[in-house]
Amino acid sequence: MSVAPVIFVIDDDPSVRSSLKFLLSTVGLQAETFDSADSFLHKKPPDVPSCLVLDVRLPGLSGLDFQRELATRNIRIPIVFLTGHGDIPMSVRAMKAGAVEFLTKPFRDQDLLDAVRVALDRDRARREQENEMWDLRRRFDCLTSREQEVVSMVVAGMLNKQIAAELGTAESTVKVQRSRAMEKMQASSLAELIKMIEKVKPSKDAS
Amino acid sequence: MANRMKSSINKIDGSVADITDRKQEESELRYSEERHRLVVETATDAVISIDDSGAILFANHAAMRIFGYDPTELIGKPLTILMPEYMRKLHENGFGRYLATGQRHINWQGTELTALRKNGQEFPVEISFGELIRGGHKVFTGFIRDTSERKQAENKLRASERTLRELTETIPQMLWSAAADGAIDYCNQRVLDYTGLSAEQVQGAGWMKTVHQDDVDKMARAWSATVSSGQPFQHEFRCLRAEDRTYRWCISRALPLRDESGRIIKWFGTVVDLHDWKEAQQALQMTQAELARVSRLTTMGELAASIAHEVNQPLTAVTNNGSACLRLLANHNLDPEVLRRALEEIVADGTRASAVIARIRAFIKKAPAERTELDINEVIQEVLTLAGHELHKNQILVECQFTRTLPLVRADRVQLQQVLLNLIINGIEAMIGVAVRPRALSLESRVDESGNVLVAIRDSGTGLGPEADRLFTTFFTTKAHGMGMGLAISRSLIEGQGGRLWATANSPNGAVFWFTLPAAGENPS
Repeated sequence: MSVAPVIFVIDDDPSVRSSLKFLLSTVGLQAETFDSADSFLHKKPPDVPSCLVLDVRLPGLSGLDFQRELATRNIRIPIVFLTGHGDIPMSVRAMKAGAVEFLTKPFRDQDLLDAVRVALDRDRARREQENEMWDLRRRFDCLTSREQEVVSMVVAGMLNKQIAAELGTAESTVKVQRSRAMEKMQASSLAELIKMIEKVKPSKDAS
Repeated sequence: MANRMKSSINKIDGSVADITDRKQEESELRYSEERHRLVVETATDAVISIDDSGAILFANHAAMRIFGYDPTELIGKPLTILMPEYMRKLHENGFGRYLATGQRHINWQGTELTALRKNGQEFPVEISFGELIRGGHKVFTGFIRDTSERKQAENKLRASERTLRELTETIPQMLWSAAADGAIDYCNQRVLDYTGLSAEQVQGAGWMKTVHQDDVDKMARAWSATVSSGQPFQHEFRCLRAEDRTYRWCISRALPLRDESGRIIKWFGTVVDLHDWKEAQQALQMTQAELARVSRLTTMGELAASIAHEVNQPLTAVTNNGSACLRLLANHNLDPEVLRRALEEIVADGTRASAVIARIRAFIKKAPAERTELDINEVIQEVLTLAGHELHKNQILVECQFTRTLPLVRADRVQLQQVLLNLIINGIEAMIGVAVRPRALSLESRVDESGNVLVAIRDSGTGLGPEADRLFTTFFTTKAHGMGMGLAISRSLIEGQGGRLWATANSPNGAVFWFTLPAAGENPS
């Protein structure tokens, strides 16, 4: 299933905004435009793949400050920076902070469209990853606490016998709990289970 | 003295033998004698008689007063005691020669000679004398007038005339005078040296030959206007200098001399060669203009990022719109209505970009200053556009308090823009570090008490600090990367247009920069 992505364009110049919107429309991309970072922040982002096309020299909050602001708010939307007069330290800072691309105005249309595509792909991947995580988390939460304990020990590399000794149960009981957990996690092999648990584990540790 | 004279005459008379007419003759003689005595004794000139040996026979009262001798002292003394030493020999020789030959060597009427007083003082005299023969002997009588005072007055007048003439001839200035009708009647030697004309050639309107042909009509008109109006004369013209046959800028000034009734009787004037001064002035103006231009370029350099942004925005829009159209065209999907809208935007953005460029080019172009009548509010608006992005970027709130009915000012537009831009950028830079209060730049225009147009630029920045009085000094800067020329140049530009520029502290924070310009109507220079 493919959801139509949205590109958020933030620039203080109305001509630039409308021309970007027009350019993106020619490759079937939908854009929403904002004249400042503030007006973007006042809007609740939709739940579709999206990216930001952003002028570095914004009135009010500057582009780089805005990038930091988004990070603190844990809004992980890919950013394509535009600049009228970009210097190297500025672009380095932007790229280090996770920007997709740093384009100098006026830019080649293909460069912008490529950057937007990369950004959307990155956002899609991020979204898929987040969905997957959310899914795994949900499955993991379905395990009984004893099953979760067993799985953690399996992942840590302990044998069934060692787990049984540790938990003071029979090895056969451990075997049953382990296969039930594999089933609930929809893992077809031990290797897959380990991967899954390792993904969930950081959030498990945090909770 | 009179008795002695009488007795001496008696002595001469004593040789006459006829006794019949004696009594009558005696009474007539006495009468005549009395008359002469009266004349002689009351005369203000000295009267002195000598015999043919040069000895004094008689001297009157005036002789005593003039020479300082008692009359009795003089009788029998040689006349030469009344002469300075150096004249005595001359007199004796001349006197002896006359007695011998009868030839006169000096004029007997009104001869000017030098005499000697008893106290040794020499003094000028005018002498007239005659001779009388009595008994085969010559008697000479002289009338001697003390001319010291007259001589002194004459000398004084002559000296004062000479001093005046020496003054006009030796003073290192070109001087001239003209009759009431404007015809030149005198030029001093400096004028003749400078122009190479003779005193005769320069007379009347002859001087006009030395005036540059492009200036001669104007100057002739100005001079005749002056002569008829009686107003002080002042005129700049190019004059041919004889020394190197070049035309040089000179200025001539003149004032009229009037009689008691106020009628002009003469004109007195000067000519000054101000060519070198004028050239230096022009060179200075060019240097100042060049410096101002360099400073504008520097300002533009400081604004480079903003300018790039201002140009790039419309260019970006143009490229985007163009690219989008090409894409649609390639896909055979270009709706004419979409194309029309895109093209309209392209044209609008192209115009916008070129307007930015035109503004900047006008600002940095190398052109001589040109004063025109300007609406200062309009110029402030233009500069706000130029600095608009910089203000916007630094989140500065701009307030304008313009008086709508301001008189126009006479100034060079670019220079005025430069001063305003400089002051606005200074204001912005003073506020960049300010985070705790609003950054506000206020621009005010009004008429001050003297009728000048006043502009105030207030900021809420860091203020002038303790070195406020050095702000306008060249190369003084509080900025990390400033040249320290901006305010010095701004001040010289404003003063060059007849105005003033100064700074005061703003309340509660920041600084106010003020400048005035004379209203155009008041000073149409």
